[in-house]
This record gives sequence, structure tokens and C-alpha cells, in this order.
Amino acid sequence: MDFFGPVLDGFGVVLDPTNLLYCLLGVAIGMLIGVLPGLGPAATIAILLPMTYGVEPVTAIIMLAGIFYGAQYGGTITSVLLRIPGEASSVVTVFDGYVLAKQGKAGTALGIAAIGSFIGGTVGIIGLTFLAPLVAGFALDFGPPEYTALALLGILLVATISGGSKIKALIAAAFGLFLATVGRDIFTGAERFTFDNLSLADGIDFVPIAMGLFGLGEILYNLEERHRAAAAPVAVANVWPSRKDLKQSSGAIGRGSVLGFFLGILPGGGATIASLAAYAVEKKRAKDPSRFGKGAIEGVAGPESANNAAATSSFIPLLTLGIPANATMAIIFGALLIQGVTPGPQLITEQPELFWGVVNSMYIGNILLLIMSIPLVGLFVRILRIRGAILAPITALITMLGAYTIRNSMFDVMLVVLFGALGYLMKKFGFEPGPLVLAFVLGSLLESSLRRSLLVLEGDPTGFFTRPISGTLLVIFVMVAVWPMVKTVMNKRKKANALSLETKVKEKV
Amino acid sequence: MKQKITRRVMLSLAATTAALSLAACGGNVGGGSADGATFPSGPVTFTVGQAPGGSTDLIARAVAEGMAEKLGVAIPVVNKPGANGALATEEVAAMKADGQNLVLLNASLITITPLAVAADEAVSLDKLDVIAGLSQDDYVMVASTKSGVKSVEDLTKSTSKLSFGTTGVGTGSQLAQALLLAQAKVEGTIVPFDSGSPALTAVMGNQVQVSTVQLGEAKPQIDAGTVTPLVVFSSERNEFLPEVPTAIEAGYDVPVSQYRAIAAPKGLSAETKTALVESVKAAVAKDTYKSFNESTLLTPKEISGEEVVTEWNALAAKYKKLTEQYNISLASN
Repeated sequence: MDFFGPVLDGFGVVLDPTNLLYCLLGVAIGMLIGVLPGLGPAATIAILLPMTYGVEPVTAIIMLAGIFYGAQYGGTITSVLLRIPGEASSVVTVFDGYVLAKQGKAGTALGIAAIGSFIGGTVGIIGLTFLAPLVAGFALDFGPPEYTALALLGILLVATISGGSKIKALIAAAFGLFLATVGRDIFTGAERFTFDNLSLADGIDFVPIAMGLFGLGEILYNLEERHRAAAAPVAVANVWPSRKDLKQSSGAIGRGSVLGFFLGILPGGGATIASLAAYAVEKKRAKDPSRFGKGAIEGVAGPESANNAAATSSFIPLLTLGIPANATMAIIFGALLIQGVTPGPQLITEQPELFWGVVNSMYIGNILLLIMSIPLVGLFVRILRIRGAILAPITALITMLGAYTIRNSMFDVMLVVLFGALGYLMKKFGFEPGPLVLAFVLGSLLESSLRRSLLVLEGDPTGFFTRPISGTLLVIFVMVAVWPMVKTVMNKRKKANALSLETKVKEKV
Repeated sequence: MKQKITRRVMLSLAATTAALSLAACGGNVGGGSADGATFPSGPVTFTVGQAPGGSTDLIARAVAEGMAEKLGVAIPVVNKPGANGALATEEVAAMKADGQNLVLLNASLITITPLAVAADEAVSLDKLDVIAGLSQDDYVMVASTKSGVKSVEDLTKSTSKLSFGTTGVGTGSQLAQALLLAQAKVEGTIVPFDSGSPALTAVMGNQVQVSTVQLGEAKPQIDAGTVTPLVVFSSERNEFLPEVPTAIEAGYDVPVSQYRAIAAPKGLSAETKTALVESVKAAVAKDTYKSFNESTLLTPKEISGEEVVTEWNALAAKYKKLTEQYNISLASN
């Protein structure tokens, strides 16, 4: 009863009509801004913050939290339908989601994504309810060496998940790593590839790159295609996922949820690596990995469950330790302070009503999101019936707008155009944008963590192996890297054996 | 027919979302007289060189609310993060001096960042009319509980080499810590992080033993006892942390705080400047603004624009002298 008393009281808080209303408002706003790439939950919450001054702290945080996880739902829609991932954690959803949409199975993809998001989110909340104090320390055990190992593993996964030519994927990833070096060096202040332009001092943002390479690049490519052959209108085969689809993705949803929950606890990059890892796991487990990238439903289910579970578990460090895990959590941290609540280790004991009120509101919020998204799936898939001549300019407008809202800067809009041209050329010559974008995101994490580690370890690289977590991650890294080679060698030997056996048999005859 | 209706629905949906996003980022169109002879001649744009949600942004939004009320026009806050705020400041400095564009200044951009970046990227106050000073945000040096360090004295006595986290290159955190370590003759490894939160997290997990971060971030952890405060870098004790000594009390000449002020492009007319100064006065006098300062642990420093210029320029000169005296370079660790 000691434990369940406050938890049940928390439900009492949520079921208060005002709180329910704010929860609904939060998730609805979240979903809407999630659809718009660029205008992220962080900026939205900052703008809406003054709205919350007049209400109770718990009500305010319930709404702000709703915006955050609601946005994760909305982000899927543009990734699947228009090939524009609004956030780094939904880049992998594009791989199979957009292909499914082109095959007329947008409803399947969106439906499974909604169900996966719901389950992922709920698993995250259950974990948050029961495990939060136990796993919170995990975030503190992650020092620079651990992030280095994690980033290395992430970059390796980028290489393994690409479907096309390995060499081309490597070239694209290397270019992504190069782009990550642009900007003022965060250790020495030295200018790197900034060409004396202040707009480049902080490096290039993820959004212009993703919007350009995926969104605009695709539009330009389709324009060219249209000149060659009259494009057949996409037939919307089905709106709902079939029983078979559900069965096929149930495992992926389960594994993605668990992966997402644990990686989401890590401040910085957790959600992106979680979605990547979920995709990689599904591809490795599949009987026929070649289906991935060509419309495998597990390729949508896994990463979408993972990034929603990660979004939920990113509340753990904030609510139990007082550490904001990402930009949005930092604003919620500020919102709590303004409300006179100290977000720190004592929150759970001093303000149990607030803690459990917010946590339990997420159960309700997730149900609301599922209810809202199911009818919307039916509406959104009709977007694909819109003629290209109308849809393409609107998509282009959304991508430009998204890039502009990041920093209110025309410079980023120019970058979208530039990366759009690059995306078009890449597609034309058979390069995938995925490895480039993901390597770009992980590259800056790798560089700064590696340099920070070497400072902390006083230049002694053995420290990477002697620390338990980074050591384990590096062992996994080596295993993932070496396994395909071992497999090839074993297959060859098997074949050779079979062959020699055959010859022996022949000889006997 | 049905298809046509859906298409129209979709189009209007797209249009609504587009309009919403414009409204949300403070679409600043029309309104007021065209010649700009009277001030304010329409909404006043308040540019912030930091991302939304950070303390700088929150301050801008809090003060803009009161100013808008006094001036009778909307004051949308527009975030243009980049290069520690240099991007936004340069942009506003180049605009017409009609008072319709304001920028929130961080003192560190003027006093500390020039010590870390190339000379042509340093921002000076010469191109700006400073309207008013707002508040002071203090830095506190905190140690992990596992390190056993409880005071600056413990630092000087430590036999093992400690590592020190900062919130980045060209920040007050980096300067304050470097000056203290140099004056106390403590050898340590400086580890720059991307911002305050990861630097603090690293201390909590004993990844680094000491970090210097802003008080607002560290206070919850200090209260919970997860990190130990060593010194604050303000010239007088901080009202929110009265038991913690200042670096000056401990015998080190390191007065470093983050100050914030409002500025406009150089060359405002006297009437416009007076109107702006009055609106800031009205804004900071409001109870909601005062309680905002208190809850975010900011110390009011509501001084005139002229005082801001004198103080900041003096600090810039002082930091330059100190870094030369102790042979500290912020640009390379």
C-alpha cells in the first residue's frame, strides 16, 4: 500500500476534469505540431509557457508533457506519407514507411505505427511507474567513454541497415560524418569550415539536411520521373492493418518498446539510437532481410515503438534526478521552476501528487492519442490521392517552413534547397540519404564524446575497455562488426565441404 | 464529388497548419503607421540569440510581457540562436534605429567570448544603444559527493589530478573556473561540455569531479545534497545560497556572473529611447516579473543602459588583463 497509495492518488489527480482537458489539449497540440517538421515540441512549449502560469503546476506539466509525446505520434505521419522525417528518431521509419505508402499500404503503415506508438508509450509508462528510481542511476553511469562506445555502435548499425550498395552507403555515411564537423570547435573555439559565416558557427542543423535530402530530393526526382512516364495514381489498397500485419509486427513492437525504454533514459541521442537499434534488430532477426527497405512492416513497427518508449522514459532522469535529457525536458525543467516546484531528487517524496499525476496522465494521454489517430489515419491516407502537381508544392512549402522555424533564419531555407539538390543527385546515382543523415547525427556525438573521454582518461585508451559499460558496448560492437565475416567464412567452408564431399562421392562411384 | 470535397478539406487543413505555425513563431505583419515617425509604429520584435526555453529566452519572454502592456503593442519574441548570440546581435545592430527591433544581450558575449574567438567575430557594444540592465545570474562551482572535495581548500590539497567540467568555450563557466584554478595553483584537466545540464550530470555521476554551472541548474541538486557547492563567483554572496562563500572571500580575484540587458540598434531618437526605458521600468516593477526572477533564482540588476556599458566594458578589460596575467587562453585547453 505504501507504494500504491500515491500511485492511485495520482489517478485521482488526472481524472479531475480540468487536468483531463489540459491533457487532451496537450496531446492534440502535440500531434498537430508533430505533423509540421521543424516546429518541434521544444519551441512550442516555450511559446505556450505563459499560458500555464495561471494554472496548477500539475495541470501545466500534464499539458506540456502531452505536447512532447503527442508530437512523437504526429511525426510519423509526414515520415510515412511525404518522406519528411521531422526528427532524427523518425529517420528510420521513412525507409520502409514511405515505400509502403507508395505501394498503397499507407494505412497499414500508419495504423501499425499508431498501435506500436501506443504500446511503446505504455510500456515506457509502466517502466516509469515501477522502475524509475531503480534505472535512473543508469543515466549517471553513462560518462563520456560510454557515449563514445554507444555512438560507435550506432554508426556501425547505420552501415548494416542500409539495403543497397554497401560501398555507396559507406560513402554517404562518410560524407555525413564530414558534415558533422562543420561549426565552431566546442573544445577550442576554432572555426571549422564556417567560411567566416556566423550562421555556420553552431554547425548545420539536422532539420535542413533531412528536409532537403529526403523531402525535397524526392520531389525533384519525381518531377523528372513524371516527364518520362505518366505516373499511375497510387491506389490506396487498404486503410487498416490486417490481422496478418498485426501478427507480423507484434514481436517488433515488443522488442522495440523494451529497447526504446532503456536507451531513452540516456540524456542525449537515446531516442535516435533506440530507433536505429530497433530497426537493425528486426532486420537481423528476419528470415528474409532483403525485404527491409522494400516495405517491411516490422521496419515501421520496431522503430516507432522504440522512439515512443524512449520519449516516455526520457522523463525518468528529469522526474527522479532533476536532469533534463533533451531540449524539451530542459524547458519543462524551467516550467517547473517557474511554478515554484524544484525538479530534483526530492520531487517524488515532496510532491507525490505532481509526480504521479504527471506519470498517470501519460496513460490517459496515450489512449487519447490512439483514439485520435485511428480516424485520422483514414483521413491522412487520402493525402496520397492528391495530384502530384498540388501535393509536391505543398510538401516543398512545408519543408521550407519547417527549416525556417528552427532558427527563424533564411540561411536554413537556402540549406534545404542545397541539400534538396544533393538529395536528387544522390537518388539519381543510387545513394541512400539514410546513412548520411544518421551518420551526421551520430558523428557529432562520437567526436565530442571521444575527445571528452580522452581528456577524462588522460589520453589512455585502455580506459574504454576497463570501464564495465563501455567495455560491454565495445564487445557488442566487435561482435556486430565481425559476425557477417564469420558467417561468410562459415558458409564458404560449408559449401567447400559439401563440394569436396560431392567430389569424394563421385570418386567412389 | 466526394473526392473533391476531401481534397478541399486536405488543402484547407494544410493551409490552417501553415497559418498556425506562422502565428506560433510570431508572424509579424502589418499594423501601425508606415512612416515610423511615431514610436511604436507596430509590433516590436524582440530577438533572442538563444534557443527557446533556456534562461535567456525565459527572461526575454517575461520582460516582453510587461513591456507590451506599457507600450500597447505586441512584442513577439523571436529566437535566432547561433554563435553564442553573436548572430542575433549582429543582425539587430544592422537594423534601422527606430526602436522596432530589440535584442536581449548576454554579458558573456561582450566580455568573455571575444577572448575565445577570432578578433573579427568579437561583438562590441559600440553598434548598440543599451536600453536597460535586467538581472544577474550567478555561477557556482560544485563538486561530486564521491570526490570528497568540500571547499576550495580541498582542491588545493588534493593529491590526485581532478577533472573540471565547463559549460563550453567562451562561457563564464570556463573563464571563472580557469581563473580560480590558476590563482589557486591547482592542476586539473578541463573538460568542456555542450551546456550546463551535461556538465552537472557528469559531476553527479562523478565522471568529472568538479563543474562550474549556473545556479538555477545546480540549486535542486545542491538542495538534495547530490553535489557539494564550493564557491559562487559573484562579488557578493548570492541571496539564494547564503552559506556558500564567494571566490573573492576565499581570496581569489574572480568576479564572474552572467548579466543580461536589452539593447537596440545604435542611434535611437531621445523620445523612442525614453519610451523604451519607461516600458522596461514598468515591466520589471510588475509582481509577476519579480516572482519570475525569484523562482528562476535571478538577482535583479536593474541599472541604466549607460551603467551597463561602463560596467561591461570594465569587466571586459579586467578579464583580458587577468587572462594575460595568469597566461590563460580560453581558445585552447
